[in-house]
Amino acid sequence: MTREKAGALFLLLLFMGYGALAFQIPLIFLSQGETFNARSMPYGIAIAGMVFSLLILILPPATGKKTQTARQALSGLDWRRAAYLILSMVIYSLAIPWIGFLLSSIFFLIAGFYILGERNIKLILLSSIPLVIVLWLLLSKILGMYIAPGEIFYIIGLVK
Amino acid sequence: MVGITTTLIPINIAMVLLGCFVGSFIGMLPGLGPITAVALMIPVTYGFDPSTGMVLLAGVYYGAIFGGSTCSILINAPGEAATVATAFDGYPMAQQGKPGKALAIAAYSSFSGGTIAVVLLMLGAPIMANVAKSFQSSDYFALMVMGLTAVSAFAGRGGFLKALLMTVVGLMLATVGTDQTSGVQRFTFGSMDLLDGLSFVMLAMATFAITEGLIMVLKRQDTTSVFKAKNIAGISDLKVTKEEFKKIGPTIGRSSLLGFLIGALPGAGATLGSFLSYGMERNLAKPADREQFGKGSIIGLAAPETGNNAASTGSFIPLLTLGIPGSGTTAVMLGALIAYGIEPGPRMFVERPEVFWAVIMSMYLGNIFLLILNLPLIPYFARLLAVPKNILIPGIFFFSIIGVYLITFNNFDIKAMILIATVALVLRLLDFPMAPLLLGFILGGLMEDNLRRSLMIYDGSFSFLWERSITLIINLITLSLLATPVLQWFLARRGNPKVA
Repeated sequence: MTREKAGALFLLLLFMGYGALAFQIPLIFLSQGETFNARSMPYGIAIAGMVFSLLILILPPATGKKTQTARQALSGLDWRRAAYLILSMVIYSLAIPWIGFLLSSIFFLIAGFYILGERNIKLILLSSIPLVIVLWLLLSKILGMYIAPGEIFYIIGLVK
Repeated sequence: MVGITTTLIPINIAMVLLGCFVGSFIGMLPGLGPITAVALMIPVTYGFDPSTGMVLLAGVYYGAIFGGSTCSILINAPGEAATVATAFDGYPMAQQGKPGKALAIAAYSSFSGGTIAVVLLMLGAPIMANVAKSFQSSDYFALMVMGLTAVSAFAGRGGFLKALLMTVVGLMLATVGTDQTSGVQRFTFGSMDLLDGLSFVMLAMATFAITEGLIMVLKRQDTTSVFKAKNIAGISDLKVTKEEFKKIGPTIGRSSLLGFLIGALPGAGATLGSFLSYGMERNLAKPADREQFGKGSIIGLAAPETGNNAASTGSFIPLLTLGIPGSGTTAVMLGALIAYGIEPGPRMFVERPEVFWAVIMSMYLGNIFLLILNLPLIPYFARLLAVPKNILIPGIFFFSIIGVYLITFNNFDIKAMILIATVALVLRLLDFPMAPLLLGFILGGLMEDNLRRSLMIYDGSFSFLWERSITLIINLITLSLLATPVLQWFLARRGNPKVA
């Protein structure tokens, strides 16, 4: 299956699910008799999405162009490293409310540099710590944006 | 004369300069766009004279638009809807080892667009105000649909259907949240965090910055190798040749006019101005130039940059003449005017001419100062791309994540961004473009609102599509824009059956 058709198949399933969920949108009694209500746009979008997806699935791929299969497009890539980076982003998002912006950002940057193969400790620390501190100073002290410290600082009593 | 004498006092000149500098700086931070920049500066202006305060805020507005373009070009992280189209050709040009040139073209185009628009504003503000007043919901709906036809600019050969499909995905994402008219929740899955829908910045970061970074990792691309091959002087080179200036000259003229006209319509704004300018120039380009769109075309970079600055200027027309904000940023500035005790509207021109003309003159000065301030700094901005990939990519992810976090301080948005980025990554690898998705998302909500209002006005009938002359004209333009690629394909096939 070409990569375009694989993508179109995925989107067809997505729009079918979207259309099914659109039936469950609650309607206030006043809008039930209206020509256009809260469900109308989702219905139209679901139909349009399914039509375009089916057209891509049915029609031949663009000629004069060597199209890759989905397997060819997705293989031979460094999925492991990408997965580690995505995981580090997820951990970062979970860590911010707990250990705060400064510490979580520094750890995230250090992890990111390490995952991508940087091993120079000095460079890692010099690239992460000053950047985060300067940004924090700029945002909180100069621009006046309040960035809450992490929950852990309240728990251990450093912040009241 | 009132405007010139008011603006040229030392304090106001200093405020324009300060505003441009602060705005450029804040605009460069992902997630902090013109609205945030202006809102952050309002408290600073409380002790000032109203004309001084407005002059400062106008400078911040322009500076932030330009700062957002820098992020779009260098790291493909548009933090503001109006600078998304800049990334289409600005980023590829930067990746080809010409970041300095890309930033310089953006600076010259912004300056030209803003300056031409200020002249048009001075000459045509009252006329444009009347035209803007005559636009109804049906005309806005038709305009939004025409905006979506800009998707054909991203199609490439055999990609029109994919571009349309991704536009519909964007429209789908725009329906998440609370329905504006009835107040019902749609596709929120019971989550409080989705009541306000998905944020544009989150979607832009997910589909552009983070996806791009992950692709570089997956494909083991070392983009800095391009920059290692050139020396630092080459990367920082701002030189734009005479031939290149001649090439983008007509583009700047047309995009300034289009951007200004679009910006003058309340609610349309710089975003639509930039996309329509991009789409128009692609349609008007010669075949050889059209092939370059999306691959670092100077026309493809100049058009949206000119369009968004001209539209930003145009968006002041409804604010200053009618008291109606033309965009989110001018809505914040409306709040500032009211805080100063000034009632914006048709009477402002008569009762407070010094404020009215000071804002207009400050735009002209602001454009000059932006060019003077930013050109010398471009070589330093461009050097960012010579940073090793191991350091640059996590940095891009970091700025993208905090850009989203700073809007709501809610880590739900970060998780949603990562999920969307993962799906977008797979779709990108399967050769589906992301730009139409953003376009559909931006215009989706506006389209639905205007369509609904039009149907209410016409008692549920779709006759507004042909009964109103303005709507009909816009629809005919849209149909011709849609029919053109089909006609070209048909004619090419008749000439050469092997051509798709």
